[in-house]
Amino acid sequence: MVGRPLSEAELVERAKHGDQDAYGELVHAYQGIAFRTAYLLTGNGADAEDAAQDAFVKAFYALSRFRAGAELRPWLLQIVANEARNRRRSAGRRVNLALRVEADPLSGGAAPSPEVNLLAGERQSALLAAVNALPEEQQQVVACRYLLELTEEETAVTLGLRRGTVKSRLSRGLARLREQLEVSDA
Amino acid sequence: MPELERALVTLGQNLDYPATPNLSGAVARRLAEGHRPSRPLLRRRSLVVALAILAVAAGAAMAVPQARSTILEWFGVGGVTIRYVEELPEVPKASSELDLGDRVSLAEARRRADYDVLFPELEGLDRPRIYFRDPPAGGMVSYVYGSEAAPKLLIQQFAAGGVLKKLVAGATEVDFVSTRTGSSVWLRGQPHDLFFLDASGEYQYQAGRLVGNALVIEGRGVTYRIEADIERGEALRIAESLR
Repeated sequence: MVGRPLSEAELVERAKHGDQDAYGELVHAYQGIAFRTAYLLTGNGADAEDAAQDAFVKAFYALSRFRAGAELRPWLLQIVANEARNRRRSAGRRVNLALRVEADPLSGGAAPSPEVNLLAGERQSALLAAVNALPEEQQQVVACRYLLELTEEETAVTLGLRRGTVKSRLSRGLARLREQLEVSDA
Repeated sequence: MPELERALVTLGQNLDYPATPNLSGAVARRLAEGHRPSRPLLRRRSLVVALAILAVAAGAAMAVPQARSTILEWFGVGGVTIRYVEELPEVPKASSELDLGDRVSLAEARRRADYDVLFPELEGLDRPRIYFRDPPAGGMVSYVYGSEAAPKLLIQQFAAGGVLKKLVAGATEVDFVSTRTGSSVWLRGQPHDLFFLDASGEYQYQAGRLVGNALVIEGRGVTYRIEADIERGEALRIAESLR
C-alpha cells in the first residue's frame, strides 16, 4: 500500500527531529524560488547558488526556532535573502539583471506582429534598465514583490522589513520607475 | 493590478535566470557530512574599518561554551540587551572589523532610515563619515569620527525594535543614567562587544570595542549608541546635543 504524501507541516516536524530525507523534500520544493531570490539579490549565479545552499543548511539547524503554523516559504526566503545580501555586500557590486534572449514580451496573447513585438521588447528593456538603476532598498522590494511575485507580507518577512516599510519603498520605487520610463519615452 | 505592476510581473517572468542548480543534492551531502555553516563576517571592502584594539575578546552569545561562560544576569535597554558573562570568549582576529554599511550623506541617511535621524550639534566635533546599513530593520546610521584606522568616536542609531546585543564581562561598570533624549545605560571598564541578530536568527559579530566606553540610550522609538574613549559626562554632552 502506498501511503499519502506527507504534508509540509509533517515534513517540517520530521526535519525538526533530524530527518534529513524529509528536509531534502522541502529543499527540493523550495530550491527554485530560493535560487531566484538569491539571484535577484546578488546578481550573480555562483553567489546565488552558494547563498541558497548555505541558507538551506543554516535553516536546517535553525528549524527548532521555526514556529509551528507559520509560513515556511518566507521563513526560508528570509534566510536566503540574508545570505545573499551578505555576499553582495562582500562583492561590493550592483545588481544588473538581464532579459532572456528569447523573451516573449507579450506572453499569453495572440501572435503579435514583429513591429509590436519589437516595441514591447524595447519597453521591457527600458523597464529593466530602470529597475537596475533603482536604489538598492527599493530594487529589493520591487524584485521580491513583482519579479518574484511574493505577497507584500512575504516580501516584508523575506527582507526583514516592517510591512509599512515595504509599502513605502514600493511606492517610492514605482514612482521612480514611472519617472524613468517617462524620460525614456520622451 | 495597475499597468506598471503588471509589466514588472511580466518582466520577472522573462528574466534571464541561470538554471536552478541541484541544491537538494548538495544540501543533503553537507548535512550528511555534518557540515554546519560558518558564521559569515559582515564585511564590505569599501567600508570595513579595522578595529584599533584587536586584543578584545568577543563572540556571539549563542556560541559561548557553557563551561567558560555563565550568564549571571541580563537586562535590556531599547534595542540593546546586555548580558553579564564571567569571561568574554575568544574570537578570530579577522572578526575584529566593523561593517557599517554604505557611505552616505546625512541627507541620504535621513531619507533611507525609517525614523528621525539625529545629528550631534556639539561645537568642536569634526564632520563625521556617515554610513547606512539595512538590516537591521529600519536601517542603522553610524557616524565615525577620526581616522578609519583609529576611530575616536562612533555614534550609531537604529530602530529600538532592532536586535543588537552587547556582551559584557563581569567587571564592566553598568549604570543607568537619564538624558534629555531618553533612558540610558553607561558601560565602562572591560571590553564589551556588539552583536547583530541576522534574519535567520543567528547572532553575527558586528563590532567589537571600537574606541572605549559606551553610552546606550533609548528614546523616541530609537536606540542611540555613543562609543568613545571618554567619560560619562562627555558622552552625555554628546547625547544631549543630538538634534
